[in-house]
Amino acid sequence: MFGRSTALVALLVASEAAIGGAPQAPSATPAVTAAAVAPRSPRNASYAITARLDPASRTISGNEIVTWRNTSTIAANALRFHLYYNAWRNTASTWMRERRLSGRAPEEKYQQSDWGWIDVTNLRIIGADGSGGDLTNQLRFIAPDDGNTADRTVAEVPLARAVGPGETVNVQIAWSAHVPRTFARTGAIGNFFFIAQWFPKIGVLENTGWNCHQFHLSTEFFADFGTYDVRLTLPRGWIVGATGIERDRRDEPDGTTTHHYYQDDVHDFAWTTSPDYVERHATFEHQSLPRADLRLLLQKEHAGQAERHFEAARAALKYYGEWFGPYPYGHLTIVDPAWQSAADGMEYPTLITAGTSWLQPPHTEDPEDVTVHEAGHQFWYGIVATNEFENAWMDEGINTFATARVMQERYAPTYTLTRYFGGFVPYLMRDFPRSREREGDRLGTYRTGAKGDAQSTPSWQYWPGTAGSITYDKTALWLHTLERMVGWEVLQRILSTYFMRFQFKHPKPQDFFDVANEVSGRDLTWFFDQVYRSSNVFDYGVDALRSDIDVIDGAIPAGVKTELRQASYRTQVIVRRYGEGIFPVDVRVVFENKEEVRWHWDGRDRWKRFEVEKPVRASFAQVDPEHVLLLDVRYTNNSLSMEPQSARAARKWSLAWLIWLQDHLLTYGFFV
Amino acid sequence: MAAAAAFREGIRRVNHAPGLVAGMFAVTLLVSLPLAYALDTMIAAHLGSSLAAESLATGTNDDWWQEFSAQSSGLGTTFLPTISGFAAVLNNLSGFVDHAPLAATIVGVTAAWMVLWSFLSGGIIDRLARARRTRSHGFFGACGMHFWRLVRLGATAWIVYAILFRFVHRWIFSDAYSWLTRDLTEERLGFAIRLAGYAVFGVLLLACNIVFDYARIRIVVEDRRSAIAAVLAGARFVRRHAAGVLGLYGLNAVAFLLLIALYALVAPGAPRSGVSMWVALVLGELYIVGRHYVKLLFYASETAFFQGALAHAGYTAAPVPVWPDSPAAEMIANADRTVTS
Repeated sequence: MFGRSTALVALLVASEAAIGGAPQAPSATPAVTAAAVAPRSPRNASYAITARLDPASRTISGNEIVTWRNTSTIAANALRFHLYYNAWRNTASTWMRERRLSGRAPEEKYQQSDWGWIDVTNLRIIGADGSGGDLTNQLRFIAPDDGNTADRTVAEVPLARAVGPGETVNVQIAWSAHVPRTFARTGAIGNFFFIAQWFPKIGVLENTGWNCHQFHLSTEFFADFGTYDVRLTLPRGWIVGATGIERDRRDEPDGTTTHHYYQDDVHDFAWTTSPDYVERHATFEHQSLPRADLRLLLQKEHAGQAERHFEAARAALKYYGEWFGPYPYGHLTIVDPAWQSAADGMEYPTLITAGTSWLQPPHTEDPEDVTVHEAGHQFWYGIVATNEFENAWMDEGINTFATARVMQERYAPTYTLTRYFGGFVPYLMRDFPRSREREGDRLGTYRTGAKGDAQSTPSWQYWPGTAGSITYDKTALWLHTLERMVGWEVLQRILSTYFMRFQFKHPKPQDFFDVANEVSGRDLTWFFDQVYRSSNVFDYGVDALRSDIDVIDGAIPAGVKTELRQASYRTQVIVRRYGEGIFPVDVRVVFENKEEVRWHWDGRDRWKRFEVEKPVRASFAQVDPEHVLLLDVRYTNNSLSMEPQSARAARKWSLAWLIWLQDHLLTYGFFV
Repeated sequence: MAAAAAFREGIRRVNHAPGLVAGMFAVTLLVSLPLAYALDTMIAAHLGSSLAAESLATGTNDDWWQEFSAQSSGLGTTFLPTISGFAAVLNNLSGFVDHAPLAATIVGVTAAWMVLWSFLSGGIIDRLARARRTRSHGFFGACGMHFWRLVRLGATAWIVYAILFRFVHRWIFSDAYSWLTRDLTEERLGFAIRLAGYAVFGVLLLACNIVFDYARIRIVVEDRRSAIAAVLAGARFVRRHAAGVLGLYGLNAVAFLLLIALYALVAPGAPRSGVSMWVALVLGELYIVGRHYVKLLFYASETAFFQGALAHAGYTAAPVPVWPDSPAAEMIANADRTVTS
């Protein structure tokens, strides 16, 4: 029953007869599909899929052969599969319950046809000896995370014979699915289809058991690497984009076309189709990095922004390639999703979705930022394939940090864009440039959700309202803090070492921390304890600054001007740790003659006094003057000036606000 | 009287009432200043003695701004980068037509300003209708005499506008718009539908606004006591002189748009320091003066248009408490100033 994946053709023919329209060959037979390069990954979860889309009914009927090899040290008595589309089967799924908890849009807006689901209609084990067992009736839904019996996003099928370590099993699955109106960036609107997480997908067997989580609102996916050999039958003339490259296509007698896509060494397969795409091509070329063909599927109304998408993708491949490691696939498809499709800003292997608007002035955030970010995910998610269910920060956070860095290197300055009149009319605010720390690392959103969860909490257990802050923002901020602490050269070596060491693998947080310690030559455990293993908030501040004349020879006689005496100013600075987080910081005092004094504080005590005697008066004091600690949630209190300008600043801005208020009153004067 | 003539007459009347423009500007300023002072205090308190104040005093400090926004409530939540320069105008106009929610403090001050303006509008229209100085006792006499009538009219208008914004707006921009765009995949089409929505809502809103404008004018000019009757009379007038009324409204709207366009050209961005800060403030306040001028231009030109349609052009029924005591004398006194139809 559990063979070593050699001659399967006879079995496949037999199973094709049983199920109908079955894939021609499983991708676990590399001799058949002839990979051009040596395997980069274990390729232990490969898929041969045939699927047909009926756009009118929004249904997909599919058939797949999963060739799975047990790479763990334990035997598998059962197999577990993700059935992600069932997250949108009804309101009782864990995904929908979490969505309600987060306060997002009510599902009452959805019509019956908007829901999505996937039904496994046949599941068979194909043995090497020709035996095959129909296990359809033994398939049962399980909820390993929360016990929600109404959740159908994970299914388990018991095996008559366990799959031992190193053994391979072939599973043939037939299914039908209804494509939802977009949830979690997969679905359809009008003639636009973006199809992801759409097929029964085997979980990851680790040495501790199956890692096959239910689908959660705030987290994404985790899967083993493999080869995907996929045939999609779609309406003729529709343009298709998918993971991998199109090897061939065949027109069918019924007016459809079958597109054959193939890709090695990836852990997912997504695709899109629409008759309305505009197609553009470009290349990425670099003197020391592999060339990549760029294919852009663009909305007609965004045709003028094609080069902006390409340039952003090139920037990502260049900087990520130089900083971390090369992009090995040789091709990347960028999808500009349709308006209202809610499919923007998502990553899949060799396929990403960007996102822009019809009116999108240059020097703004998008489409560049989203394109860089999603292209960057090819590295942090696609190649270094961390567990997004449990350690979402390892791809989203690292990638957010890297995106911000690319945007600064390639695009600065960019400016704040506001939108008016239903969000259609953009207005570029050139007085408000975006910054890497603020908008790139997202300090603002982190600040409001800083205490949400300790980052070490499994990501799927994060509070839905602040999961994004902890995953994306906090990581970007602590990586940037680390960059300011150890320097970019060291951090770049940490990241590139980590990337090269764990490409096409599933590293865990400790792997990253170990590399950081090793490459930096420092024990950074204290740092990771603070930023990763706790939800502590950092807040250092200068509480007091005094710079007074020290009376040396008794009291100053009345009427004697102090300037006439040999004055000595005793300057005292009180710095405080208002937050729970501990971080070593510098304390700096600048005097009226521009001279400065610095101290280093380990930041552990709740407060500390620093003193110095100088012939001049202090001008101002700062704690963490270089703003190394970007996680400090209140940086305003990090300084104290002897001549505060707050009144001047407040007057200026309150007068600007006054004009806004007067204009507001006159606008409402319409009514009187 | 033709719309263009009424428009010119409106300009003449407002030009000859600079005190009215200045007075109304002062009223708006005085209503706004306490809140601006409160915000000033909040900003200063948040900044404390921080060095952040220095960069904020000479330019912008987005890091501080973001921190302030995250930690503030009430009035502080309205202090966003969009209050600076021309963004402030877009922010207010867009918020108005999109019926964006307002902070409670802003709702309060807006309501207070509208009540105050309603009180003063009796005197304003009376002054503009007479097209001559009425002195402060005459002005405030008219304010007091018409106030409760205008309050009743305001209450009626509030009901109508509330229905428009609470139900019609929601129906157009939530229900109908969502239904029409549900399966749209082209943003341009979505925008076109939104613009159509603005047009439909705008027609309803302006129709009501015009009727209430003329109701207000008829209350003052004809000394009407019944707000309901004034609304009906205003509606009758609008129906009988639809072309002229719409033409005049259009001319006033163009004046408003020209002012907005002019400010878009000259509006400074975020204020800097020193002279440039004061220049920005002066430009901003000049724009606010312009808004008052246009507001009064609506009143003046519509009043002139209404008066021009009467048997006695320039007629103003309500006597000024001291002189003249005869409507006929008033008409005679105004005869040489008023363009007749």
